[in-house]
Amino acid sequence: MADLVDSMLDLMRRLPPTRTEENVASLIGICPDYADDLLGSVDQPLQLKIDRGTGREYLACDYNRDGESYRSPWSNEYDPPLEDGTIPTPKLRKLEISANDAFNTYREMYYEGGVSSVYLWDLDDGGFAGVVLLKKTMTPSASSEPSGSWDSIHVFETAERGRQAHYKLTSTVMLQLTIQKKDSVDDNGKREDKEGWKRDGEVTLGGSMTRQTEQDWPIYDSSSHITNTGKMVEEMEIKMRNLLQEVYFGKTRDIIYDLRSLDDLEKTRRQRELQKELVDFIKR
Amino acid sequence: MEPHERIQAVCDFILQSPPGEINDVVNDVRNIISDDELLQEGIAPALKKYNLAQFITVDIPETNHQSIISEASRLTSDAEGEGQERWLDPRSKKSFVFDHMALEASDPQPFEPNEDFEPFRAALEKASGSYLLAHFRDGVSSTFSSQTTPNQFILQIVANKYNPTNFWSGRWRSEYIVDLNDHSMKGTILVNVHYYEQGNVQLSTTRSISITLPPAIVTASPESASTKILALIETEEGEYQKSLNDTYHEMSEKTFKSLRRALPMTRSKLDWEKVLGYKLGAELSSSKGTFATGSSQ
Repeated sequence: MADLVDSMLDLMRRLPPTRTEENVASLIGICPDYADDLLGSVDQPLQLKIDRGTGREYLACDYNRDGESYRSPWSNEYDPPLEDGTIPTPKLRKLEISANDAFNTYREMYYEGGVSSVYLWDLDDGGFAGVVLLKKTMTPSASSEPSGSWDSIHVFETAERGRQAHYKLTSTVMLQLTIQKKDSVDDNGKREDKEGWKRDGEVTLGGSMTRQTEQDWPIYDSSSHITNTGKMVEEMEIKMRNLLQEVYFGKTRDIIYDLRSLDDLEKTRRQRELQKELVDFIKR
Repeated sequence: MEPHERIQAVCDFILQSPPGEINDVVNDVRNIISDDELLQEGIAPALKKYNLAQFITVDIPETNHQSIISEASRLTSDAEGEGQERWLDPRSKKSFVFDHMALEASDPQPFEPNEDFEPFRAALEKASGSYLLAHFRDGVSSTFSSQTTPNQFILQIVANKYNPTNFWSGRWRSEYIVDLNDHSMKGTILVNVHYYEQGNVQLSTTRSISITLPPAIVTASPESASTKILALIETEEGEYQKSLNDTYHEMSEKTFKSLRRALPMTRSKLDWEKVLGYKLGAELSSSKGTFATGSSQ
């Protein structure tokens, strides 16, 4: 019943992105048989875990999960421990360690905080796939400060073709910003009210978007995969951040002006009529 | 999940519907539940709750205007007994039955307003009509006399824009409770916007306002007082709209940047070869270092 999954995905595209986690959990509760379809197609905010050995934070998602346990990219260990948890081959693990180091530098440069994790796994056809995760949460020190979070999930697959590699990248960014506004103004001027207005409010902007790209890059050795996917992820994040800020957020602001006009519409209408009368008068 | 839990869960989805998309959400949950009988009965309370909270508008029979369905328009006097629940359109002074699924009004009946408060209510209604024309492109407003508190009036405004072909919808709601007993006015403004072209971005804002009405308003005639009250509302809503603009500016200039920079401090993209090289270099030199210290010992 592909139909049913379509309805679930349509629903998730309509419901507030700020409530994705609880809504996905509800949908799984209603249709437990479709849990895998849903978890595989709907991206959710990343969970923060702590590596027991090193105390270092890492990110958990469906890609580093085995049963109820999550693998840390730092120690390669599952938590809770698993005897026979899936781990990458030694060769791929070596690449995974380098990729984690490289994207950790990337994270520091762009996010100046937050957490990153990279997970790689072998594919049946000889190639490999991976996911690059980045998360930053802003916790306000005062209630008047803005709070927010950024989650990005970049899933890629690669197939080597001689000295070239073909990459397929699917990127999702989830963003949330909340600003609380509180003020009470004392009006000791023109208006006669001594009490003034008391105002209180909150603005929440939430969004999620997914984009795909396929590209070919040259490879010299296995580390080329890191520079290649690095460039692709960086390019994609720049593009998506820009889209969210300029297009998506800009559009929501424009729609407010479609609902309510700051200028007096009646005045504009009257002016237009007057102008028309004037033109008709001149024509006569 | 038990059937009633499944219904509870989809009711929760319905209440989260973005402006103008309730039919799409109901279609989706209809497919998910695939038991129309259970669904229709089960979601009725949620549909009603949604309609009331979202100031859903209805064409009033025998008139050419629309009125708002809300807690204020629900006629409490008729709620007792076995009779059907009735709703009020104060402008045409008619009560009617409302179908929360089809969003249609039927069985219009004349309604007798309380004469003591009708002059002020009517004046407020007239002033809000002019305000609506001046600032909203597709707005509807309703002005009620409170059914519980004498000398209290409730002014509601809703403006909707649905543009599914271009993947967006928006709703502006505001409500003002004018109380001539303690000379207060309490207001709420709520804005919801959904933009979903290749993504899902939602804006939701809440604003609450309270003010003590100046004596010049309290002592004035209903007409003059209403005009002044709407002038206050006009200023306040205009200021709010401008402040939302500032909030957007703050979000994109500061908040966004502190989550993720547009470019690193160096103002250029990463040199990935270097990023790997440094690390490799650092590893080599550190392993050389250990080797060197090891050999010198």
